[in-house]
Amino acid sequence: MLHIKDLNKSFGKNHVLKNLNFSVAPGEVVAIIGPSGSGKSTALRCLNGLEIHESGTITLDGEVLTHDEKSLQTARMKMGMVFQNFHLFPHLTVLENIMFSPINVKKIAKAQAEQQAKELLHRVGLADKAQAYPSQLSGGQKQRVAIARALAMEPEALLFDEPTSALDPEMVNEVLQVMQELAEQGMTMIVVTHEMGFAKEVADRIIFMADGEIVEMGTAQQIIEAPQTDRAKAFLANVL
Amino acid sequence: MSFEFITEYWPLYLQGAGVTLLLAFFTVLLGFAFGILIAFAKLSKRKILSLLATTYIEIIRGTPLLVQMLIIFYMLPAFGVQIPNLFGIAKFGDYSLVVLALVINSSAYIAEIIRGGIQAVDKGQTEAALALGMPKSLMMRKIILPQAIKNILPALGNEFIVIIKESAIVSVVGIMDLMFAAQQVRSATYLAFEPLIMAAVMYFIMTFSLSKVMQYVEGRLAKDATH
Repeated sequence: MLHIKDLNKSFGKNHVLKNLNFSVAPGEVVAIIGPSGSGKSTALRCLNGLEIHESGTITLDGEVLTHDEKSLQTARMKMGMVFQNFHLFPHLTVLENIMFSPINVKKIAKAQAEQQAKELLHRVGLADKAQAYPSQLSGGQKQRVAIARALAMEPEALLFDEPTSALDPEMVNEVLQVMQELAEQGMTMIVVTHEMGFAKEVADRIIFMADGEIVEMGTAQQIIEAPQTDRAKAFLANVL
Repeated sequence: MSFEFITEYWPLYLQGAGVTLLLAFFTVLLGFAFGILIAFAKLSKRKILSLLATTYIEIIRGTPLLVQMLIIFYMLPAFGVQIPNLFGIAKFGDYSLVVLALVINSSAYIAEIIRGGIQAVDKGQTEAALALGMPKSLMMRKIILPQAIKNILPALGNEFIVIIKESAIVSVVGIMDLMFAAQQVRSATYLAFEPLIMAAVMYFIMTFSLSKVMQYVEGRLAKDATH
């Protein structure tokens, strides 16, 4: 469903993405791993146009992503995103956070959106927090709300940008568990992560990036247990 | 010193204070509306809009209000701008012109306050809104501005107080505000200072009450934020 071809991106003189090529099939879970500054997050952010790529093509369901607002909006509705720092809307309740875009962007009737939002909250285990404000939630709860909010747009795929990196250690698992359930239910996911355990158990495929390049790509077994390159070996020796 | 004149002239002072408050109220209201537009223009990606807004803000903030007001008050009528006495208010045209001058002046300051407030909202809010497929106008109205305005409410309240004080300048062109009332009492009673002290006391009561109200509102908002 998603094809990335010869993707390039620079910040000034800094060439951060160098000729990335990969595809993601429906229902596939792809983990992108690699050292800090390797371009993982930038690559992910290019996919829904939060960063503007310079050359190469991103094709989603046969449509090439361009940078006019309509094309970006369509792509963003198909690919939800979950951020490292949650970015819930602080002036809205949990329920309103989830319902806002379905009502105001997709123009779904309020009653229906509310029903759906409550089901999603139930699904992420936060049915009792519907009327809470984000400031009243723990980090793990905020991230689960953020996942519910992304799901409310009924996307075809979800992008996760280091979803557990800002969490206290004891809250990491509650978020990973929700993500694992999503994967089992067949959601297409691209996850930038430092959680090797999650990558190994849940991801169908792992992409190892370093210095803006895809250095290795393969199944979890191939990458984590038998890395081929020195860079991947060095990285994995440090994180495992 | 003798303050006996108050028994006779207090209605004049009250009337003047009423005019001052009304001028300040309309100035803040219109200045805010106008200020939002200028702030958006300054933040616009279109270079020409941004440049125009910056120029406007710099010129208005770099010249005295008195000069701005006199230019507007005398120049517009000289170029044939005539405002009729609407709503049965005598001197409606004069009031309109001084409000216009005050609005032009305060909108430059309010625009900078709003721009700062918008830019202070976490960039992640924009990204989250965009990632949810929101068009930019919806994001600005429902996600960014509500947070920005909450942050800048203290600064806006302060601007209201500044306008109440600065509006004393309209007495120069014969608008019967609180300052004008004090001058009238001075000439009627031949008292040099007392009528001015009375005006100062009344200005202070207005600004001090307003700042207390603002503190209360801020307190409520802070409580809302923590729930």
